[in-house]
Amino acid sequence: MKSSNVKWGSILRIAFLTLWMLFILFPLYWTVITSFKVPTDIYGQPTYIPGIDFTPTTSAWTYLFGEGKDRFLMGFMNSILIGLISSFFALVIGAMAAYGLARYKYKYGPMRNDDIAFTILSQRMMPPIVAAIALFIMFRFFGLLDTKLGMIIIYTWMNIPITVFLLKDYFAGISADLEHAAAIDGYSKFDQIRKIVLPLAKPGLASAFLLSFIFAWNEFLIALILTFQDAQTFPVFISGLNAQMEPKWSIISATGVVAILPPTLIAILMDKYIVSGLLKEQK
Amino acid sequence: MKKPRGTITKHLLVAPALVMFLAVTIFPLLFTLVLSFSNWKLGGKMQFAGFDNYKRAFTDELFLKTLLITCVIVVVAVAIEYVLGFLLAMTVNKVVRGKKAIRILILLPMMLAPVVIGFMWKMLFDESYGPINHFLGFLGLPTVSWITNSTMAVISVILVDVWEWTPLIALILMAGFQSLPKEPYESARVDGSSEWKIFKDLTFPMLIPASIAAILLRSIETFKIFDTIFVITSGGPGTATTTSTIYAYTVGLRNFNLSYAAAICIILLIIVVVLCTVFLKLVLKKRKNIELPDEGAVAEMGVAAK
Repeated sequence: MKSSNVKWGSILRIAFLTLWMLFILFPLYWTVITSFKVPTDIYGQPTYIPGIDFTPTTSAWTYLFGEGKDRFLMGFMNSILIGLISSFFALVIGAMAAYGLARYKYKYGPMRNDDIAFTILSQRMMPPIVAAIALFIMFRFFGLLDTKLGMIIIYTWMNIPITVFLLKDYFAGISADLEHAAAIDGYSKFDQIRKIVLPLAKPGLASAFLLSFIFAWNEFLIALILTFQDAQTFPVFISGLNAQMEPKWSIISATGVVAILPPTLIAILMDKYIVSGLLKEQK
Repeated sequence: MKKPRGTITKHLLVAPALVMFLAVTIFPLLFTLVLSFSNWKLGGKMQFAGFDNYKRAFTDELFLKTLLITCVIVVVAVAIEYVLGFLLAMTVNKVVRGKKAIRILILLPMMLAPVVIGFMWKMLFDESYGPINHFLGFLGLPTVSWITNSTMAVISVILVDVWEWTPLIALILMAGFQSLPKEPYESARVDGSSEWKIFKDLTFPMLIPASIAAILLRSIETFKIFDTIFVITSGGPGTATTTSTIYAYTVGLRNFNLSYAAAICIILLIIVVVLCTVFLKLVLKKRKNIELPDEGAVAEMGVAAK
């Protein structure tokens, strides 16, 4: 009885996972093979397997790394730089606030911890379009329009709430007794945080950083309004490819494939921090 | 409660986050608010216009329709994403071999730029050259007008959102599953509780905070949906998939009616804030009633309950 339940359970699990994988992977597969097609393979009967129903060519790729190199690499590097720097600042600022809110009691006028956390999170509710128009005018005034610094400020701001929201739970989950014990042993507050809290919060810190980078990397609306040339981010560059007379699907697909790479690498490198739990680390 | 030094530290800890909040949230917000009560065209003078823009919004059938479309997309998409995300997190949690590879593959969609996802699905949905209709034809089924039929376009857009964002809910819940304490399970098994009972009485209640976080985050984000729809349908056919953000963008940055766009933005903001406030109030009340054996959750509850 029990073992047959287990067996059916695992068959259902495998079936569900397999279906989900197909659903996830097919669009990605399609994009990858489209980047190796010529227009006649795209505008005709759909073709599925390179070498069998169409002959793969690298024309889209040679275009990206040849003729179209300058704009392509600029968008790519801009997004990498802006994403990494802004995620780092969001992590530092967010972790500080999260730690404060998890450990101390605040009272700013009528606002207590709960209200402060809610205020910081509430920023995330604001539809970006609300800020976009005003930010455009503000940025023009400060000369931040179409600069990397401007986009770093925007993306840092954008990612503070999610960092605070994720890390507050992690810090609260780490017993304050450990810090009290360390204080008795003569550790300064800074050392308590550096040697006890931060190592224990590693999974939380890593996933906050990862999510921040992804949000910055993916953001489109504000970048579309605030960058045009020098600080143009990758998504804005990609969307511009569609504006041409007829979309060149092979080039768009090749660019899309490149856009997948950095986040995937980060996910693979940081994976162990994301889900390996706090409890496991404590053992 | 703390030593004097602690009180200085505690203010320094939250100061940068609050300063950023004032500079980049409050100021643009006030500016948009002023704009919404004015009659301002690019390059012109700002004139006070009272509630004209708001009156216009509430009699603008197209705007009201975009609100309805947005709500339908939020409710349907987030509901599907939560159910699938929960199943995925639970499934992956039990996988023994290849867990890491499976997890990375599952998380992949939300890491892609929505612009890329938009183009990807636009190719797949293509009625003449796309593989989905080709496949349906191969099975002898009728082809579907994925993005040229009004109803199907909404379904297609939801499908894309589910593809893109189920991973985020799965990720948050996976972390939740990972942090579940072992002891209550051991004692429940010793007591001979069934798997279903363990799920209902232990696993699910302990995952409620993570679930709420996931659903709240996704609902807020989906309400602002723009990128994928902008690329796939540009709000069409007609106005079938014009969400409120796309409408505000069109009014403000295509027709350059900035004041009216500002009023729409303020209305959107009020709707989101009201929904979130009600939702959070319910959540905090509910959380106090649930006994959580997990120490971290208890500590967090203490903070939440001030």
